[in-house]
Amino acid sequence: MDLFAALQAVVNGILTGALYALVGMGMALIFGVMRIVNFAHGAFMMLGMYAAYELFLHAGVNPYYGFPLVGLGMFVLGYSCYQGLLRPIHGRSDFMQILLTLGIGLALTDGVQLVFGADYHQINLPLLEKNLHFGSHITVNAPWLVSFAIALAAGGGLYFFVMHTMMGRAARAIAQNRNAAPLMGIHLHRVQAFCFGLGVAVAAVAGSLLLPVFYLYPGVGDQFTLKAFVMVVLGGMESIVGAALAGLVLGVVESLTSLYWGNEWALALDFVLFLLVLSLRPGGIFGSQRA
Amino acid sequence: MKRAHLLLGAAALVVSLLVPLVVQSDYILQVLFRIYLFAALGLAWNLVGGYAGQLSLGHAAYFGAGAYGLALFTRAGLPVWLALVLLIAVALLFALLIGGVSFRLRGPYFALATIAFAEVLHAAAKNLPRVTGGDVGVPVPALFASHVHRSFYFCAVLLTAAAAWATVAISRSRFGYQLMAIREDQDTALSVGIHAARTKLNALLVSSVFTALGGALYASLFLFIVPDQVLSIDLSNEIAIVAMLGGAGTVLGPLVGSAVLETAAELFKNEFQEAHLLIYGILLVVVVLFLPEGIVGGAAALLRRRGAKGGWRAASE
Repeated sequence: MDLFAALQAVVNGILTGALYALVGMGMALIFGVMRIVNFAHGAFMMLGMYAAYELFLHAGVNPYYGFPLVGLGMFVLGYSCYQGLLRPIHGRSDFMQILLTLGIGLALTDGVQLVFGADYHQINLPLLEKNLHFGSHITVNAPWLVSFAIALAAGGGLYFFVMHTMMGRAARAIAQNRNAAPLMGIHLHRVQAFCFGLGVAVAAVAGSLLLPVFYLYPGVGDQFTLKAFVMVVLGGMESIVGAALAGLVLGVVESLTSLYWGNEWALALDFVLFLLVLSLRPGGIFGSQRA
Repeated sequence: MKRAHLLLGAAALVVSLLVPLVVQSDYILQVLFRIYLFAALGLAWNLVGGYAGQLSLGHAAYFGAGAYGLALFTRAGLPVWLALVLLIAVALLFALLIGGVSFRLRGPYFALATIAFAEVLHAAAKNLPRVTGGDVGVPVPALFASHVHRSFYFCAVLLTAAAAWATVAISRSRFGYQLMAIREDQDTALSVGIHAARTKLNALLVSSVFTALGGALYASLFLFIVPDQVLSIDLSNEIAIVAMLGGAGTVLGPLVGSAVLETAAELFKNEFQEAHLLIYGILLVVVVLFLPEGIVGGAAALLRRRGAKGGWRAASE
């Protein structure tokens, strides 16, 4: 266990963490800002992965080019999902929202399993064989670098959307006061549906980017739902940037955990972290109030 | 009214206990075992989820405590009765931990914390092979040597009866009214002097005992357990769905929910094999959108409406 191994683990962690961050930012928009408890987040990400896989298999579209298409399709699905299923129970308790989205997630996961089977899939890109060397000890697999760049751009775009567009302002206004916002001429459900769709789309984009470097199976999204909640809580509820930072932290923590204790403990450590933050600092470690 | 309910309950118990005289098939007895087991688990969940209105999605933690407790304490050479006492103690300890951390929080955090805690236990069971056997699993002693299916069936019926009795007793007690007050409006409950955190914790403690006993019973029937079976998120979900489908916050709800869900699941398993959770997902969506009070709650509302039309007094509470 020399220093370089640890350094390599940190680099890997940051590269993985960028994709986590994207999933987490989508959740931060849906849960942190809009207060919609979305237990189907990972299932939507998984669906994005399958969409990218089908695009690659049948149309030969490389996921690194195909992700905007996947994002667009999943945006439409997320938007309709809000309008058709979540909107009717608007105003009821978190309890019901959790159960509803949990049901949607289960139905999506097992629906996919019914259609595509439970087999593991993987795609093969020439890019996967390229490695970049930094110094003599640090090696980075090229696809991770590409996905990191795309994730950075997508995350930046999402931040711009929330901070500088009318829709983003409307979303933050709803987060501040959901009774006053509609009185100011904000169409509550249109904004919520848009943000839900966008959050889902961002998760699906992260899914497309994960496709070349991950195994694909129907349950692949399960752990990401919980991870996304962990990120939002760690990052401080309403903070998109906080969730992104938490994603990077989670990536590095998991990578180092894998190096020293083994991969199996990585997820457990996320949850221990989560329980500690919930009990000690419910405001999140990056506890800022605004985006 | 009360006496009529008591008589009905006693009659149902006697009929349930007489079933094995008619049903000889081990397969059907095992399905019935599962129905009663999940009815008991649903009733236990219902105390927290239905009466106190706190959504636990981590009841697998107590179930797993019961299953692994029985396996590990007996492997350590302890007699079964002592193992049962100790596994209840472990479940209570888990409930204290999880409740202590999360009942101070509001909104969805309790649900999230329960999942996180159960998942930590799941990972620990998988990754500590020297203690738990890891993914390979661990053998569980048989509680009964002869008439296996019949004996387990009796146990499940008795556990359900005990859980139903506890639910009725609690729902009519001061404790039960405090729980319902917290469900309806925690701030108002606090303002009239109800110690919300402690009251919710007490409900969780009672709930964890029944859930752990269910876990021990289940484990002993299968003689062998692995983490993905007794500590999985799917199990936690199933327990919650049973109660929600039948009707949370009612005594009959989890019984009806378990009968419907477990029968449906059994049929779906043959039809769709691994994708049988699909029915859980669809049922959840349907229940939340169209039947938020569950089958029993919906039927009661229907009866009330009928009754009001015909000028009869509402038949149920």
